[in-house]
Amino acid sequence: MPSPKNNPKGRILVQTVPTLIPFTEVESGVFQVAMILSNKNHRVTMTAQGAIPEKKKRPGRKAIGIRLERKKDASLLNWNLKRPYPPEKIHIPIPVAAEPCVRVGDIVQTGQKIAEPKGPGGVSLHASMPGVVERIENFPDAVGRKSLMIEIRKHGEPKPIPAAEARKGWTEIPAEELLRIFQYSGLVTTDPRMEPVHVKLGRHAGARTIIINGCEPEPYITGEQVLTLSHPVEILKGAELLKKALGAVPTPINFRGSEMGAVPATVDPQKIKIGAEKIIFALENSNLEMMELIKSKIYFLKWEHAEVRSVPALYPQGLESTLLQAWFPGEEEKAVVFPASTAFAAYEAVALGKSFYEKVVTVGGECVVEPRSLWLPIGISFHDAIQACKGVMREPQKILMGGPMAGTVQATSEVPVMVGTTAILALPKEVVKDAIAEPCIRCNLCVDHCPVSLSPAMITLAADQKEFATAEEWGVSECIECGNCAYVCPSKRPMLELIRLARSRGEAAVGHG
Amino acid sequence: MAEATLSYKRVLPPHIHSTASLAKRNWGQLIALAPLFVTACLTGHAEILRVLLICLVSAVAFEFLAGKLFHKKESLRNGEAVLAAALFSLLMPSRCPSEVVILGVFSAVFAAKELFGGTGNYLLHPLLLARVFLQLCFPKVMSEPMLLAGDGNIWVLAAIGLGGIIFLKQKQGYWKTPILFMATCFICEALLGGQAMPLTFFSAVLFTAFFLLADPVTLPLTRRGTMLFVLCAALLSSRLSSEGFSIQGVGYAILLMNLLTPWLEVWLKPTPYKTKNQFKATYLS
Repeated sequence: MPSPKNNPKGRILVQTVPTLIPFTEVESGVFQVAMILSNKNHRVTMTAQGAIPEKKKRPGRKAIGIRLERKKDASLLNWNLKRPYPPEKIHIPIPVAAEPCVRVGDIVQTGQKIAEPKGPGGVSLHASMPGVVERIENFPDAVGRKSLMIEIRKHGEPKPIPAAEARKGWTEIPAEELLRIFQYSGLVTTDPRMEPVHVKLGRHAGARTIIINGCEPEPYITGEQVLTLSHPVEILKGAELLKKALGAVPTPINFRGSEMGAVPATVDPQKIKIGAEKIIFALENSNLEMMELIKSKIYFLKWEHAEVRSVPALYPQGLESTLLQAWFPGEEEKAVVFPASTAFAAYEAVALGKSFYEKVVTVGGECVVEPRSLWLPIGISFHDAIQACKGVMREPQKILMGGPMAGTVQATSEVPVMVGTTAILALPKEVVKDAIAEPCIRCNLCVDHCPVSLSPAMITLAADQKEFATAEEWGVSECIECGNCAYVCPSKRPMLELIRLARSRGEAAVGHG
Repeated sequence: MAEATLSYKRVLPPHIHSTASLAKRNWGQLIALAPLFVTACLTGHAEILRVLLICLVSAVAFEFLAGKLFHKKESLRNGEAVLAAALFSLLMPSRCPSEVVILGVFSAVFAAKELFGGTGNYLLHPLLLARVFLQLCFPKVMSEPMLLAGDGNIWVLAAIGLGGIIFLKQKQGYWKTPILFMATCFICEALLGGQAMPLTFFSAVLFTAFFLLADPVTLPLTRRGTMLFVLCAALLSSRLSSEGFSIQGVGYAILLMNLLTPWLEVWLKPTPYKTKNQFKATYLS
C-alpha cells in the first residue's frame, strides 16, 4: 500500500474502515460514500470531485454490443409477481432424460412427481397444476418440433396451495445430498439451454466461481429483474447452495493438472474436489437500484466471498457466453453461470422442499393489454398466459418465445411454456417489419458489432457463394448467434440464415473429411 | 376463451432491425452534396448543372437498361444511380461535351459497376475508373477547368466542409477514415513542398476524404485494413501526379489500392475470440 508521500498525483489516500463488502466497480455517485466505508482491500483516492476508486485492472476484452431500445418500463409498472388462475388444461413437456410415471386417468396434485429421472443425467418432472392426466402424447412445442408431453385437465375447483414450511436443518445438508435434491426436485437451468442443474455442475467441475446472472440484455424481458428485486436474499442463499453443491463433483483430470500443480500419484482422481470459493452477482449497469440492493444484502449477510459486478447495458453483454468472455477470457472452465431464477429455484428446492414446476416469465410486447412478469406453471399455453395478462389489444404480427433479438416465432399460440421460456412477446407489425434483402455493400458495421470479433460479412458472402470451407476458415464455428450482425445490417441481409447454413454444411464437410 | 388459434409466420431471429438502409445512406450523401451544387451555381459555375442533368438522365437510363438485362432493380430503388450521377458530374470538367459525359457515365454505371455484378460487387471504384478511362481517351477535353481544379474558391471549399460535417453527422461511415486521409495529405504537403493553389488542394482533399472514400464497397472489410488503405491512398495520391495533389492523382491512387483490397482483407482479418470446445454453445441451443 503506497503512502501519501509516494503517491505520484499528490492525492490523499484514505485508509478505509475495514468492512466486509469486497470492492466492486463504482457506478454512480450514490454509491461512492458507501464505497469508502465498505472498501477493505482497495485504495480510494480523494479528489475535489469526491472519491474515485483506482481502476482495478481486470483481464478481459472490451465490451462490444448494441444499445437497443430496452422497452422494459411497460412490464415493470406491474412488478408484484402474481400467479394466474389455473387454466383448463396444460401440456407439460417431458425432458429427454425422464420417463413418465403416471398413467392416463391418474389424479395428480401440484408438485407431484409425474416423471422419473432416467439415468444419472436425468431429472424428475412435477405437475404444475392439480387435475387428471388426460393424454401422454406428442404435441407441438415452442421450438418448432413435436415432443412428448403430459396433458393435465383441471379437475374440480383448485385448492389454495398451503404455505411452504422450511425444511429442518437445510443449511447443514451435505453437498452430495444437495445434488440429489436438485435432481429429484426437477431443477433445470432456466435459460434456453435447459440443462439439469446437477449435470451442469458436473460439467463445470473444478470451477472456482459461481456467477449468478441477473442480466437481461434483450428488450421487453424483466423476469430476472423483478424476481431479484422481490427475493434478493433467497437468490443469494440459492447461490450459496449451488456453490456448496459444486464441491461434491469430482474435478476432471485435465483441469486439475493446470490448476493445482502436481498431484501425488497415490490420490484417486475421483476424490479430488475443489469446489467454488466465490460468488459473483452479474448485473447490468443500468439497474442501479438492483446493484444497491444486492450489495446491501451481501453486506448484511457478511459474505466476504460474494461481490457484485456490472456489465454495460448492451446487447448481447450479459449472456452466459459474454459474461465468461468478459471476466474469464480463455479460461471458461474457472466459472459457471446460473441465471438468478435458477438460484432461486435451488433455494426453494432445498430450503422449502418445493419441486420445480413454475417460473417467472415476462408476458409483454406492445399488443398485450397489461404487460408484466408473473409466475407461470410450466406447461401453460401461450394463449392462456396472454389471457392472464388481460389478452391482446390487437392481433399481433408475431408471437415470440424469448426476446426480439433471439426469440423463436410461434406458428400457433397453443404451445406450452417450457423451463427455458424467458418471455412471451406479442409484437405488432410496426415493430417486426419485414425488409427486403439487398446486396452487401461491405460497410463494416457487422464487423464492428460482433461480440466475438468475427467478420460476419465475409462469412455470409462465402456462404452465399457456397464456399463453406472459407466460412469455416473465417471462424464461423465461433459464432454465438446473437443476431447483432443482422440487426445492424443496412442491406437487411439474412445473416443468421447464412451463418447457420455455413455452420451445418461446414460441420458436415468436416465430418466427412 | 374459445378464440380461434392464431397463425403466424415462422422466421429466424432477429425480429427487429436497425433503421439503417441503403436508401438512407445514398440519399443522406446526396443531402451532404447539396451545398456544393448550390455554391457552384452561386459562384459562377452554373455550367455544372448541364453536366449534372446529362449525368442524371444517362445514369438512370443505363441503370434501367442494366436492370432489364440482369433482372436487378436495387440501384434505381435506393438512389444509387442518382448519387453516382451527382458525384460523377463533379469529377467532369464543366464545359465537357455531352457525348463524352454520356460515354463516361456508360463506362462508370454500366461497364465498371453493373457488368461486375452491380451494387456491392465491383472491385474498382466505378466513378474513378471511368474518370481515368476518359483521361486516357480524351486528355485535352479532360484537362479543361473543373469545379475542383483550377483556381479554387473559398466558398466551394466551405461548401465541401459543410457537406463533410453533414456526412459525419449522419454517422454512416467511420469518422476516423476521412480524418486520417486529410491529416496524411496535409502532413505530406507540408513536408514535401508547398502547394501552388492551396484552395484547390484543400477542396480536392476534402472532397476525396468525404465523398470518394465514402463508398465502402471498394474498401477493405476490416477497420484496420481500411485505415491502412486510406493511409496508402493518401501517400500515393500526393506523389502520383506531377503538380502535387490533384483529382487525377487521387483516381490512380484509389484504383491502385482497390486492387490491393482483397490482400488487405486477408492480412488484417480480425482475430475471433475462441471459446474452448467443451463450453462452446450458441445462445439458442
